[in-house]
Amino acid sequence: MKDLWSQPIEKLAPAIRAGRISPVALTEACLDRIAQTDDRLLSFIHVSTTALDAARAAAREIAAGHWRGPLHGIPVGVKDNYLTADMPTTVGSQAPGLAFPMRDAAAVARLRAAGAVPIGKTRTHEFAWGNVTPPVRNPWDLARVPSGSSGGSGAAVAAGLCVAGLGSDTGGSIRMPAAACGVVGLKGTFGRVSRDGVVPHSWSLDHAGPLTRTVTDTALMMQVLSGYDPADPACQDQPVPDFAKSLGRPVKGLTIGVCRNHFFDGLQDDVAAATEAAIDDLAKAGAKVVEFRIPLLEFGLGAIFAIELSSSTAYHDASLRAGRVADFTPDVRTLVEMGRLVTGADYLKAEQYRMALMDEFRKVFAKVDVVVGPTTPITAWKRGEWTVQVAGQPESVLAASWRFTYPYNLTGLPAISVPCGFDRDGLPIGLQIAARPFDEPMVLRVAHAYERRHDWKDRLPVALPAAVPPVPE
Amino acid sequence: MEPDNPIRELLGLDLPPERQAAVVAAYRDILANLEALRSLDLTDVHPAIVFEPTAPYRQKGDAP
Repeated sequence: MKDLWSQPIEKLAPAIRAGRISPVALTEACLDRIAQTDDRLLSFIHVSTTALDAARAAAREIAAGHWRGPLHGIPVGVKDNYLTADMPTTVGSQAPGLAFPMRDAAAVARLRAAGAVPIGKTRTHEFAWGNVTPPVRNPWDLARVPSGSSGGSGAAVAAGLCVAGLGSDTGGSIRMPAAACGVVGLKGTFGRVSRDGVVPHSWSLDHAGPLTRTVTDTALMMQVLSGYDPADPACQDQPVPDFAKSLGRPVKGLTIGVCRNHFFDGLQDDVAAATEAAIDDLAKAGAKVVEFRIPLLEFGLGAIFAIELSSSTAYHDASLRAGRVADFTPDVRTLVEMGRLVTGADYLKAEQYRMALMDEFRKVFAKVDVVVGPTTPITAWKRGEWTVQVAGQPESVLAASWRFTYPYNLTGLPAISVPCGFDRDGLPIGLQIAARPFDEPMVLRVAHAYERRHDWKDRLPVALPAAVPPVPE
Repeated sequence: MEPDNPIRELLGLDLPPERQAAVVAAYRDILANLEALRSLDLTDVHPAIVFEPTAPYRQKGDAP
């Protein structure tokens, strides 16, 4: 197998189990890739000093016949807002006086128990509050951002610096970098994956989840990450299905919902074309396409701002009162200070709105199996650029980038971003697929059926050519 | 008590004047979205948050 670092879990796992690939060789390949390319990509804030020890332990166990499952020996990047026992956590902040416990978040503990090898901490926008993730660069064009806030994981997975990554998603922070970097990112149903040990941003909007190269890899990661954890007050005691069973099933007979308002407003031309082509594709594969509208979506931005701003400010209240937020980066400082201006009535109105919106989607999902649309209206924008042209009009990247993702944080519905092509500049485009609560299997089924019809997942970022010599067959 | 600075007095946002002005200016962009939200009549809709008095027992594995 050539270029170990470029392979997905679905190909690596059988070879590792059979002894054809050593977890040590795989981890070394990723560490080499980090050493040779991350001076340009800047996706890791910390590289593990114990990863090779973990890989050697995995190799010994597997050689002794104790294969733990598909993640055994797989190097995984951990977003820097997940606590880790063996690596420092900064949540992307250089502000003095902050200290986070040295213990594993529940998701990290689950990955370690499954034999995965945490290879380092990937950069996050400070406190997961943003869509740029400085100083990380997009591996498809180093002059562009990877989006955020899980931009480090998105860039690192896309460029082969780790095989999979952990992200967190409050308004789109898994799915946006997945779309911008050309990888798969899933935010499961709110309550599906424990957030214990993930530094809070907004308690009722935060989701933990994976970024991977393929839909199958996402299913494999979700199998390990999912499950009830009383340490996360929002985690739900729901049965965990066999996610892999949903893969390889046809979409024939399914009903694909397309919400023609909000999700198709103000798209870049190439994003619109790729999305329509993907919908046509699913129709050609035998799915029935039903169009609908949810006018209530028009009011969503105020709701998510009210909840996110006030929650973030409540979390940072001690720092705010002590004047420590002055040491935050300017954009995050403004957002944290601004949350003080949101009234309690606005917050609760937003929570009322959420319930109304959830009910609108409930009615839609009585008639459709999934809702499909673009993940973002724009592709990766240039670093330092704060306004982009969308449908001939200037729009702030902050407003544009999360417009299609935050409705699923407000509703808590499972939603995935899967690559669906490239724009005229060679930048990846993401297709978003959402389903009923706890119906991640349906999301994965449709995403996998779409993915198999194209070779998008087999393309590697052009800005970081293979620098590591291929490993002999 | 600073009646000339209601933001500091009422909201506890203790910032230098120029900083406070910058935060308020940034908030104005968002305020239009909040005003749209306020315009909705959701009188009969229960908020999505639901108080659960047994939560600490559940989290600690104790019977309430």
